[in-house]
Amino acid sequence: MRNRKRTGWRKYVNLITISTLVTVLFIIIPLYWLVATSFKNPNSIGTTPPAMGPTPFSTDNYYNAFVNYDFGIYFKTSVIVTLSTTALVLILGTLAGYALGRLPMRGKFTTMVTLLIISVFPAVAVLAPLYLLMRNLGWLNSYQALILPYTAFNLPFAIWILRNYMLGIPKEMEETGRIDGAGPLRTVWTIILPMALPGLFTAGIFTFTACWTEFLMALTFNSANNYRTIPVGIAEFGGNFQVPYGTIFAASVVAVVPIGILVFIFRRFVISGLTSGAVKG
Amino acid sequence: MTAISSTAEQDRVSTPLVGRPDVNKKRLARMGWAFSAPALLVIVGVTIFPIVYSLIMSLNYVTVTGSGFSLDGFTFSNYNLLIHSSLWRNALFFTLYYTLVTVVVELIIGTCIALVLERLTAGRGWMMALLLIPWSMITVINAELWAYIYNGTYGVADYILGALGFGHPVILGTPTSAVIGLMIADIWKTTPFVAIIVLAGLVMLPGDVFEAAEVDGSSSWQTFWRITLPLLRPTIALAIIFRVLQAFGLFDLPYVMTGGGPGTATQSLAILAYNALFKNLAFGPGAAVATSTALLVLIACLASLRVFRVQVGQEGN
Repeated sequence: MRNRKRTGWRKYVNLITISTLVTVLFIIIPLYWLVATSFKNPNSIGTTPPAMGPTPFSTDNYYNAFVNYDFGIYFKTSVIVTLSTTALVLILGTLAGYALGRLPMRGKFTTMVTLLIISVFPAVAVLAPLYLLMRNLGWLNSYQALILPYTAFNLPFAIWILRNYMLGIPKEMEETGRIDGAGPLRTVWTIILPMALPGLFTAGIFTFTACWTEFLMALTFNSANNYRTIPVGIAEFGGNFQVPYGTIFAASVVAVVPIGILVFIFRRFVISGLTSGAVKG
Repeated sequence: MTAISSTAEQDRVSTPLVGRPDVNKKRLARMGWAFSAPALLVIVGVTIFPIVYSLIMSLNYVTVTGSGFSLDGFTFSNYNLLIHSSLWRNALFFTLYYTLVTVVVELIIGTCIALVLERLTAGRGWMMALLLIPWSMITVINAELWAYIYNGTYGVADYILGALGFGHPVILGTPTSAVIGLMIADIWKTTPFVAIIVLAGLVMLPGDVFEAAEVDGSSSWQTFWRITLPLLRPTIALAIIFRVLQAFGLFDLPYVMTGGGPGTATQSLAILAYNALFKNLAFGPGAAVATSTALLVLIACLASLRVFRVQVGQEGN
């Protein structure tokens, strides 16, 4: 932390305060507009000039989203796909991260760099072959059509993060376990896992966010109404002539709240994931 | 696990640990591959194999059949088509300048925000939490929200522009303003991400360098350009690499906000590939667009690692 004494600090503090306020407004105003519109009466959304607040206050849009549209189904699909993927990524990622971090394997470095390159590849590069694969498996419009690719695309980052945490665990801890007679899987479970917990949180929240927000693969593989995820559902709410913004924003608020709460709770791990990242500066 | 089986484990694992280190090492290596096999198989099967398959498709005549498609021999015509197609050149050009403008603007604003937050004495935690909201926002929702703000009849941006005397431009209906509109939505979502990365870098800078600069009578402007910025280079490199790679895959925002239009003004490489593959069923050319995009990403990735001289993954070995 730097500690500088400045003359005229009062002026400086004001500048800081103003800039902070501008930043806050820049982030908050569009969010306010999203929430305010979702609580407007569906008929008053298209008025000019636009009403600045939700008057008259109404929850009709929320009713519409769940009853007249199938937002409930989309929400359920997103929850199933996201939770399954996160669980899979954490299990497979922990095992791989442990092996690549702590066991004497040849070709570890090459594997890690390959993983790094894969983690930045655009999804569009694999779209066509995966679509055909899913079709041949009969998996189009199913939960596994998304769980499998999401797992594959989120594993590299999870392995990197978990491996970095595994590297920091002292060797003695592990040897104690082995001498006490624990098998390899048991060593990972009882000794390594508790110490790598921050890494699990980081990998978990990143995987969760990525699955919750992914659009391209969900749009391509699961176009049937019963298997649409939230982003696809929201994108397809629009009719040909009228875009039901009230319904869209009500659904959006419901979609954003769970991820917002999770990110808020785990913000320390999100920030550590963003900054320690896959690339080391 | 029962007591009996864990004793059995002990015999198998811990005995060689004492007596034969070389055998033990081999055994541990085998165990390592066994542990990582499930993860690596999924990754190879769902990413590497399809990428290679995309490459093969892009180098073949592809005919769509009833049950899928067939590869009808090697050709370079798909790439030839791309090079001579104005659609591809437009998409490439749009993706490149969109990437350049958004990354530069986000970097400047993000660094400013980080510099401000670093001097904030109270409430920094709350500011960080606030910055994470746009980061975790579903891009499709971001797109719908800004499309509503820009709407030509009841959008609030349209209303404000009208009230300020700029008339009523059809924001998403004119190429230039549609691109600017997209960029603003992108900047809203991604600047906080850059700010967080730069802030983390700022906090970790060594304090004594700044004390020395102060003793030497360096002005704050000089300190920023001569000391803060050079020390931040690895952090800024990290932010740039992430953003550039992400921007190459640009799809959600223009797909939902403008559908790539008006005309093809906001058609990114990913949208072009998607349309070719799934709307026109042109699998060969579509695969060529997708593969060349992936190749560009790879080149950009290697080049930026080189330019910024970032060390990858050496710290643990």
